[in-house]
Amino acid sequence: MIAEAFVNGADGVMVIGCHFGDCHYITGNFQGKIKVGLAERVLTYVGLNPKRVAFDQCSSAEGERFVKLVTNFNQGVRELGPLGNGDRLQLPELKEKLPIAKTALAKEKLRWVVGKFTVFASEGNKYGEVFTEHEMWRTLDTIVMDEVATHEILRELRQEPLAVTELAKRLKLPPPQVLRYVLALQRRELVDLDGVKGTSPLYKAA
Amino acid sequence: MAEDIRIGVFVCDCGSNIAGYLDCPDIAEYAKTLSNVVFVKENLYTCSEAGINEIKDAIKEEKLNRVVVASCSPRTHEPLFRESCAEAGLNPYLFEMVNIRDQCSWVHMQERQDGNQKAMDLIRMGVAKAALLQPQEPIQSEMDPKALVIGGGISGMTSALVLANRGYQVFLVEKSKELGGLLRNLHKLAPANVDAQELLAKQAEAVKNHENISLLTSTTIKEIQGYIGHYNVTVSTNGTEDNFGVGVIIIATGAKVFRPEGLYNYDGKGVITQFELEGLFRANKFKAKNVVMIQCVGARDEERKYCSRICCMTAIKNAIAIKEKDPKANVHILYRDIQAYGTENEALFQRSKQLGVRYIKYDQEKPPEVRKDGVKVYHHLLGRELELPQDLVVLSTPLIAGEDNEELSKLLRVTLDENKFFLEAHVKLKPLDFATDGVYLCGNAHYPATIREAVSQALGAASRASIPLAKGMMTVEPIVSILADEDACRGCGLCVALCPYGALEIVKTEKGRKVSVIPVACKGCGVCAATCYQHALSINSYTDQQVEEQIRAFLSGS
Repeated sequence: MIAEAFVNGADGVMVIGCHFGDCHYITGNFQGKIKVGLAERVLTYVGLNPKRVAFDQCSSAEGERFVKLVTNFNQGVRELGPLGNGDRLQLPELKEKLPIAKTALAKEKLRWVVGKFTVFASEGNKYGEVFTEHEMWRTLDTIVMDEVATHEILRELRQEPLAVTELAKRLKLPPPQVLRYVLALQRRELVDLDGVKGTSPLYKAA
Repeated sequence: MAEDIRIGVFVCDCGSNIAGYLDCPDIAEYAKTLSNVVFVKENLYTCSEAGINEIKDAIKEEKLNRVVVASCSPRTHEPLFRESCAEAGLNPYLFEMVNIRDQCSWVHMQERQDGNQKAMDLIRMGVAKAALLQPQEPIQSEMDPKALVIGGGISGMTSALVLANRGYQVFLVEKSKELGGLLRNLHKLAPANVDAQELLAKQAEAVKNHENISLLTSTTIKEIQGYIGHYNVTVSTNGTEDNFGVGVIIIATGAKVFRPEGLYNYDGKGVITQFELEGLFRANKFKAKNVVMIQCVGARDEERKYCSRICCMTAIKNAIAIKEKDPKANVHILYRDIQAYGTENEALFQRSKQLGVRYIKYDQEKPPEVRKDGVKVYHHLLGRELELPQDLVVLSTPLIAGEDNEELSKLLRVTLDENKFFLEAHVKLKPLDFATDGVYLCGNAHYPATIREAVSQALGAASRASIPLAKGMMTVEPIVSILADEDACRGCGLCVALCPYGALEIVKTEKGRKVSVIPVACKGCGVCAATCYQHALSINSYTDQQVEEQIRAFLSGS
């Protein structure tokens, strides 16, 4: 939903929830904070300035705090200017990348990890290993990287068959890394061999 | 979509509450330009009879099939407008409310132009969502007219009796052998000087003899499954398991008295707790001449930040008892602050002073020092240390949360506060309910309470629990999670793990493992829909499509 707002031209998205312990839905604000945090990371990874996404907390009795939070956020976004200014990528490149962030956020891998976040951070995994929030985010960062690249590869290959070297050029990633992603996708039967061009194999989306 | 969408927008002036700060005629004009809008009306008060009739007439005459009211808070007025739609033959869930008062005219009183713009944005978003609304039917579910009361102290007994007297079958589960809880150790009860044991005997007798109460002592709760109306409870009595169903549950598990091991030379003989002092009174073994009471022992400190609230009155009550028995006895109460709330408590506090009980305020930084035959305390006003003679030191210790609270909170999926006491749904609006429907709370399980407060809460919790029991059938808002796309669901169970209300379960169907929503237990929070990577789950009236359409509508104006 947050990515959707950026896809549709929002310059900033702020989510404000209740203070921890005050949530009408018991733990909804914990979930919300993690989900917004993830969205922020994915969007940052595809080139957005993280200042455009914010999560904060405020009670319904804290009118002044609300105004302060919104004013500060608004000011921060205004200083950056419209989308594509002050971001790592500029328009139209950023616009092209945003739907990939949306796809990655909607798919199973990130949703599983983010769903299990609180469990891993409080009760631990099946082996009883409890992770700190920091460790969880670090783990998530690599998953975000993989997911975004994977979905970007799939999008490119849906349009035309490509060789790994060409894909790497488009994704601005080292070819060996892209090859790993492509082979992983091939194992999951999401990518097929299409043919051979010169000495390199061409891949297409299955 | 084959259906021709016909939206009616009603812009409310709310007297001068909205029209005084925004240009309602301009806003109404603007609403006319929005797609699918076929009728717009500005009302002085949309909620008045005239306004309501205009909605009803327009539904009939203009063949409206969606209604948007731009006025105040849905908290107060959405039910009214929905009902009006229903009376005119329109499904009430085809109604959408836009708040242009509390969140617009009231907060932008000095910014008329910006306020107008915001109201238009909000209405545009409301209209965009309204076009996608689908009719919903309220969900009905039957109620098992039985209750489980956990805890056989004064709170548990009181609520069990109320429900039993109303004709409902009650299972009263107590983990120890006897009824009574903490009450069993008390002597007299403030402020009316009631004999604790007489009260206990009377209540316990009534509970034991009541035909509608199944009393289960030496019994613990093993498992609770289900939701309001249909709880399945497994208990263990001395190792023998039993199983029964109930519709509602009251938590009355009480609390424990904190034992001040290692504090102020506590030994249970010369230095005792108020709780133990009550025991001396009951056994008629009290004979001290110089009593020093110390308040806030193990309370309001770093470890337990909260005030146990009842210890001041316990100390005052016991001090009076000592002075009444032996006016020559010396009683000193060393305190940090005194909680003598309410007229009766204040009167007792004053009476204790008249009887000669001495109060000395001590500083947390300079706590009193208990010695062999005296207590050393720094006196603020005198600016020096005093040595008080003592042959008995009584420590006022807080009530602390029971050790079973965490386990029970997990079984019932209800929340605890930072001190492990049970946390009510809302401190003012729902003080005896939990966020989970069908579970109620009273007495010390919630927070330290006097007997009188515990009884009031028990009566209240029982009457809250009576509401669904009396209704028999439950009607629930259909704004809940639904499995919109069964084929997409892979039965992975992530949503089940995350649902804070236990409203989802995995069932075996012909198509394999699928999630199933228990609508009565669902609160519509949306965690499941936001988690489902297959996008199989959705929230009625808050679908991804509807919310995304609102976002697009908002952004299309900028």
